[in-house]
Amino acid sequence: MSGGVDSSVAAALLHAQGFDVVGATMKLFCYGDDVPDKPCCSLDSINDARRICESLGVPHYVLNLESSFGHDVVDNFVSEYAAGRTPIPCVRCNTFTKFRDLLRKADAIDAAYIATGHYARVVNGELHRGLDQAKDQTYFLWGIDRAVVSRMLLPVGHQTKAETRDVARALGLIVAEKVESQDICFVPDGDHTRIIRQRLGDDAPALARGPIVLADGRVVGEHAGHARFTIGQRRGLPGGFAEPMFVVAIRPESRAVVIGPREALLGRGVIARDMNWLVDRPAVGAVVQVQVRHRAPPAAAEIVRLDAHEIELALDEPVAAITPGQSLVLYDGSRVLGGGFIERSGAGRPQLPVLAAGRASLTGKPNGQA
Amino acid sequence: MRTPVYLDHAATTPVRPEVLEAMLPFFGARFGNPSSSHKWGREARTALDEARERLARCLGANPDEVCFTSGGTEGDNLAVLGMWRARRATRRAVVTTPIEHKAVLAAVHEVAREGGEQRLVEVDAAGLVRAASFDALVDDTVALCSVMWVNNEIGVVQDVAALAEVAKARGAVFHTDAVQAFGKINIDARSTPFDSLTVSGHKIGAPKGIGATYIRRGTPLEPLMYGGSQDQGRRPGTENVAMAVGLARAAELAVAEREHEWTKLETMRDALEAALLARIPDAVVHGRGGPRAPHILNISVPGTDSESLLMALDLQGVACSSGSACQTGSVTPSHVLTALGVRSDLGSAAIRLSLGSLTSEEGIARVAELFPALIDKARRLSGMAG
Repeated sequence: MSGGVDSSVAAALLHAQGFDVVGATMKLFCYGDDVPDKPCCSLDSINDARRICESLGVPHYVLNLESSFGHDVVDNFVSEYAAGRTPIPCVRCNTFTKFRDLLRKADAIDAAYIATGHYARVVNGELHRGLDQAKDQTYFLWGIDRAVVSRMLLPVGHQTKAETRDVARALGLIVAEKVESQDICFVPDGDHTRIIRQRLGDDAPALARGPIVLADGRVVGEHAGHARFTIGQRRGLPGGFAEPMFVVAIRPESRAVVIGPREALLGRGVIARDMNWLVDRPAVGAVVQVQVRHRAPPAAAEIVRLDAHEIELALDEPVAAITPGQSLVLYDGSRVLGGGFIERSGAGRPQLPVLAAGRASLTGKPNGQA
Repeated sequence: MRTPVYLDHAATTPVRPEVLEAMLPFFGARFGNPSSSHKWGREARTALDEARERLARCLGANPDEVCFTSGGTEGDNLAVLGMWRARRATRRAVVTTPIEHKAVLAAVHEVAREGGEQRLVEVDAAGLVRAASFDALVDDTVALCSVMWVNNEIGVVQDVAALAEVAKARGAVFHTDAVQAFGKINIDARSTPFDSLTVSGHKIGAPKGIGATYIRRGTPLEPLMYGGSQDQGRRPGTENVAMAVGLARAAELAVAEREHEWTKLETMRDALEAALLARIPDAVVHGRGGPRAPHILNISVPGTDSESLLMALDLQGVACSSGSACQTGSVTPSHVLTALGVRSDLGSAAIRLSLGSLTSEEGIARVAELFPALIDKARRLSGMAG
């Protein structure tokens, strides 16, 4: 329980349904003096979660998962940026911290289920998108162990965010009007370079000046660290080009940020690694829908290559800003098939004509929650 | 759920009925301000003076040597910072132990921040201060030594008389945090040469928010706060008459029952310890090698973690802790066990069971059954043979 409205309502709904609820808040990092008070994960949030549980008459515990979260999530976040990729820490937190480490704590008290305030659903032991399409969070949940799905309870996934707030108001929960957190919890001020600097030092190459180049290698400007950029970003790029320019690649070995026009952003295929399947692994040739960013519209694709480590898909229509480090999630309708971490764009099917791309919505936020 | 078992008396205790009864008039008709000159004021002043005298008798002190505070943290801060600031011009070092309560340790860190020098004495594996180390550290630059009488996590009892003698001989003042010692150890300022000593009400059946610090006559002290002349200016602010009365009553009861209470708690603690060690032979009892207060049992079982065990115990109605409670309620490694050289995996498995007024033989018997069962389960889950 983060102390937010979703997990609070989840606990209240389960309690009302007669479940024997035990509240838990994960303490995931040190609340230093320099961390400004923010809506998520602060001390106040722990207190809110405790008060919700008190009002429901159920126990509440604060579980210290700082050490494993630091290793599994924060270290990886930093090393991904150092490698010129755009990490998605919420996925690793769900995979390792919530639905593995926290589950072990649940085992210790004989809890049959683990419930969260995620907008997703479990239907017949399979993971499905949340009913509220605008709030669906399955993009962050593909990495959990398939065997865990049947132990998940996701009560708010069956309603809209507005309905969740209505329930909170109807129950008189103190968090009913609480603002939603938008940032990564351990980057409360939205400045992810701070934690990179903390971990890797002021002279980290990812934060050092480097060239802004065109695809042909021509230097057109300078940047203050490639970790400040993500694929598809426009902010912080030089002007003066005939058409809008976007970050199309990051080359950590030369610290170069490569920019190009919108067409250069389009990928016709996608290659991902570290695949996790929540259903039986599909076969090459299967046609699925894929999502390469949080809140991106699903795109039709065909699996053209698949082994234990890697998947390659050909997209029916080009997709913009396929970003190494972000998630590739495969769907069949609302059903989540599995996912992986994007390695790079793929070649797609060269025999097909290139179709005009729709104007994809792009965002500079690393986890796409903006 | 069966009758809950409260084994966290080192964290806090319930207010005793006698104490509540003694306080009630001061929440009602006898509400006066002790500084007022009228009837209501005189009434309150008399009650406060009597409370101070009664508490002084419990400590072997003169009434003017007793300063009422809000509790242990304020008392330790007043003693450490107040006495150091008063002597810093001639002596700037402070000697303390690495196993103090944070109320002392953080005050000593503040001393260091203000230009003082912090010296930590060595403790042995049982938590006892090494006399040779203390002897070596206390020289003529030391303003103040602070050594807690009974440790709140493991219960180790320090030889306060001997350490205070050494400090005195070198011209240092000696403070002891006696929050866990009061009511367990015989405390007498006439026979033990400490210069200041802190007690807290809520550990002995008085409410939270009241405590007292003994300050020997003639010991220089700078106040932490400024305002009126209450308590000789050492602690300005309108006195908490009701709770001072409550603290005096609780202290009298604790002193009167001290020896009986020691025997009773020690018998139950030792029975629990023996039962747990019999069922869990590889369990480690911290501080076992040294003299221990009778109300604390701190135990670690390899292959378990305190966080999960505390949850499981609480869900079965058994309240205990992993050491000292942290603000968030989350479990962090104990600085006390770390200072004892306890392996980190054992440190993160530590459970502190602390006995007191609510402890019964039935409760102890229940925990003696339940605890090993939960350990077996935790070890099965962690894949370790029980």
